[in-house]
Amino acid sequence: MKVALFTSCMLDLMFPKVGQDMVDVLERLGCTIQVPSDQICCGQPTYNSGYVEASWPVLHNQIDAFADVDCDYIVSPVGSCTGILKEYPTLLEDDPTDPDGYYMKQAKILAAKTYEFSQFIWRVLGIADCGAQLDGVATYHRSCHMTRILGERETPFWLLEHVNGLEMRPLNGLQYCCGFGGTFSVKEPSISQLMVTEKVENIEKTGAEILVSCDPGCLMNIGGRFNRLGKPIKIMHLAEVLNTNVDPSRIRKVSEVPAPTPAPAEVDLS
Amino acid sequence: MGLKTSTKPFEERIAAAAADKFATASIAQSQDAQYVKREGARSELGHWQEWRKIGQSIRQHAINYLPDYLEEFSDHVDQRGGSVFFAQTPAEANTYILNILKEQESRHVVKSKSMVTSELDLDQKIQALPDTTVLETDLAEFILQEDDWDEPSHIVFPALHKNRDQVKAEFEKIGYVGDNDPEKLARFARHYLRERFLEADVGITGCNFAIADNGMINLNTNEGNADLVDSIPETQIVVMGMERIVPSMKEAEIMDNLLARSAVGQRLTTYVTFAGPKAQDEADGPTNFHVVILDNNRSEALGTEFQEILQCIRCGACLNVCPVYRHLGGHGYGSLYPGPVGAVLSPILGGYEQFGELPFASSLCGACTETCPVLIPLHPLLIKHREVETDRLKMMHGFKDTQMKIVGKATASPFLFKMGLQFKHFGMQAFTKHQTPTALNFFAYQGAMIKNGPGLIKGWTDVRDLPQPPKHKDDFRVWFEHHQANQGGATK
Amino acid sequence: MTIINREKFLNHLADRLDQPRHQLAQHPYQPISDLPQTTLADQTPAELLATAKTHSEKIPVTFVTTAKAQLGAQLTTLIQERGGGPVLLPTTKAFEQFQLTAWQQSLAETQQVDYWQAENGRAANLKLAENANLSISFADFLLAESGTITVSSGAGQGRAFHFLPQHYISVVPQSRIVPRSTQAIAWYDDEIKAGRLGSSAIHFITGPSNSGDIEMHLVTGVHGPLDVVYVVVTDC
Repeated sequence: MKVALFTSCMLDLMFPKVGQDMVDVLERLGCTIQVPSDQICCGQPTYNSGYVEASWPVLHNQIDAFADVDCDYIVSPVGSCTGILKEYPTLLEDDPTDPDGYYMKQAKILAAKTYEFSQFIWRVLGIADCGAQLDGVATYHRSCHMTRILGERETPFWLLEHVNGLEMRPLNGLQYCCGFGGTFSVKEPSISQLMVTEKVENIEKTGAEILVSCDPGCLMNIGGRFNRLGKPIKIMHLAEVLNTNVDPSRIRKVSEVPAPTPAPAEVDLS
Repeated sequence: MGLKTSTKPFEERIAAAAADKFATASIAQSQDAQYVKREGARSELGHWQEWRKIGQSIRQHAINYLPDYLEEFSDHVDQRGGSVFFAQTPAEANTYILNILKEQESRHVVKSKSMVTSELDLDQKIQALPDTTVLETDLAEFILQEDDWDEPSHIVFPALHKNRDQVKAEFEKIGYVGDNDPEKLARFARHYLRERFLEADVGITGCNFAIADNGMINLNTNEGNADLVDSIPETQIVVMGMERIVPSMKEAEIMDNLLARSAVGQRLTTYVTFAGPKAQDEADGPTNFHVVILDNNRSEALGTEFQEILQCIRCGACLNVCPVYRHLGGHGYGSLYPGPVGAVLSPILGGYEQFGELPFASSLCGACTETCPVLIPLHPLLIKHREVETDRLKMMHGFKDTQMKIVGKATASPFLFKMGLQFKHFGMQAFTKHQTPTALNFFAYQGAMIKNGPGLIKGWTDVRDLPQPPKHKDDFRVWFEHHQANQGGATK
Repeated sequence: MTIINREKFLNHLADRLDQPRHQLAQHPYQPISDLPQTTLADQTPAELLATAKTHSEKIPVTFVTTAKAQLGAQLTTLIQERGGGPVLLPTTKAFEQFQLTAWQQSLAETQQVDYWQAENGRAANLKLAENANLSISFADFLLAESGTITVSSGAGQGRAFHFLPQHYISVVPQSRIVPRSTQAIAWYDDEIKAGRLGSSAIHFITGPSNSGDIEMHLVTGVHGPLDVVYVVVTDC
């Protein structure tokens, strides 16, 4: 299976190890990986800040970077960026710089084959147990964009359930934003501070020593706040967890394991 | 008071909200309690996503044909013997209402909760009449009035920021004797307000939904105060935002169901009333019945990308899920309409000069959009406001324009981005510190952290530490090239 | 009466919407779903009664069922439990339909009983309602889903009749239990449009007056009745 990685600027600028672990995990599960070299950013920093005119070239670049890549799927380690990429066809409806609809057409192709890392493993590869072992107590931070824009509430919890030795603790206030919000965190630091401080308190109350998430931006925010407060935590992207002490003989398909525990309920009651 | 509730700068209001520990705790407690009740009520109803679409279709249709529905409604009010006044501005509305009070020589006005009359600053205008008193009869609004017209902090629970001791202190000024038990405080208010209800000659209400095809007003209250306001006085004045209309009682009933479940997790609000002027053969209800329909810049949203905000039914669910409201409280926004709906609506009603910072005060987490019972795309509308402010009006709200434009250029050009990747490490050197981190697996590359960054990074490091970015040789893409070469693997 | 400023106001809205006025005849609202009609619609009368009871009692409402023959005795007990009169009753033919005329007379021998009568005017009726310890209404419907009774005001039973007395009892035949507000509203809408119902006020009442305005602590009886009883008459 040919997979192109949508790296995101998060991974390129700050979290190279997440990318390495992700490549290891996916190759172990039989994927051939490529990293299209002209990709940069999903466009959220400028688009969400209201610089919409300046954002069209960013979206176009991202689409161009993947347009000619021979791959079955595009996989990203960032829930938020994946969500936005899936929304490209909606955003581009307002794009005046794409009169013949070329980018719209490409965006639809792109969006249809793009998945976030955890949902790709569970829903596309059909793998439930990646064979990882991590001894410790952890809690999971559910990112807003992965939940509400991408609509993925379950797969990280299900994959974590199969990590040997890992005790998962429920996080109170799971539904509340950690205060990252991309440029929000630098534009409105005083509000962001109140939000991330409450998130830190809730994580502390779980007694977890490890905080897992599928969004590096949230990890950077929460981890940075923990460090500023001088409080202990280990932050880990799910890819890092799934690439810890792996015993390949333990890898199991979804069809080979019992039905997963329902992920914590949130708002979608359809 | 009007739409703008504070003259303090935004940063001061945020600091005040952060310092008010009681208000923060009570908002958090109410959000968490409401979460369980609201989601329970929606889940019990079942097919919630379909109900939302029904709600949206009703509200969108009403807004799309607003002139026709308002015409139909006003004809029916007229046929029932009522009067309708169309007010473009608060000044026009106030002149009309105050004229009624003067002409009738009204002495005692009782009111049930109405946000639109707060837009008009109507209470203060009535207070200023020499021979007329005005009394808010919703318990929360009454508490605020007794505290010298303190500003509301929530569109459903206006006195959320007050604790029982504060309420007791306010009530003691008007004769309350007893402890801070909410039951006793409420019972005192009942007796105090009942006496004044019975002497009232004018009642003023808002309007949840106006029924186009029969001219009735649909009101929802749990206390029943609106029912006393529209039963006892000879005169009733209804003040409504022009968008508050539905085709018939059948659609109003659907909206009432969505409202009750979304606002407080009830199946139906305790008192749901459809009423107009008293019929000839009846004993009570208003003989003189007036409806004031207010625009106050709502029409600015019509025909624009912001039209959907007029679908709002004021359930407050978006406030109850909002992580920013959770910490700012109602007062932090400085607008009568706080929370996500307020951040979208306030700039439309009051302009960007007054409320331009509100659309930026959101992490765009999308909880509001997800909970809205009539499918208003709230956080996308916040982005639309940002676009109008930055791209069209060139207003700068804290971002240095040149910096964001550089971000735009760098993220649109592979060449610039790669250059940046190679040099990013050097720029940060001067700001880094070497300390033993408490957050592990975070400062893995340089073991250094940035505590006091420049430019765009400053806002970040005001609150949290930032790892020094990896050196270029440690970048993922560099690693991947080696990895691929070692594997003799696939081409890029 | 009068309509002021309408044309200018509505023309401005039409301009903003960029479409001519008077489009509604060609574009009436078309419901997109029958969910309101189908929700709970499959319940049998016995199930509706059970649902109504469960949901009413949660509010909380005192929920009583009785056969028509025992209705008078049941009402007398409920009145006594609430401290007796003054009792405010509506002027209505319902007493005859429920065979309560003898009960009316006997009640008046032991309690102060007053009647809402529109011809006595606003002030007199409001005074009776304010002084009443208890009022008894005859409801048009009981909604199973929400535990709601619905009443329409008229000459014999005004608006304040339902709100000013300390206690409130509403009598409803079991045959008038409907799944939810949808069915009740459809009936009122039909009656009004057919000219059969001249009422100026329709009230959906779901239990006693309540408020969570002080620290979200739920208290009952802020403005309206302190407690509410539904009496379902099972054989009519």
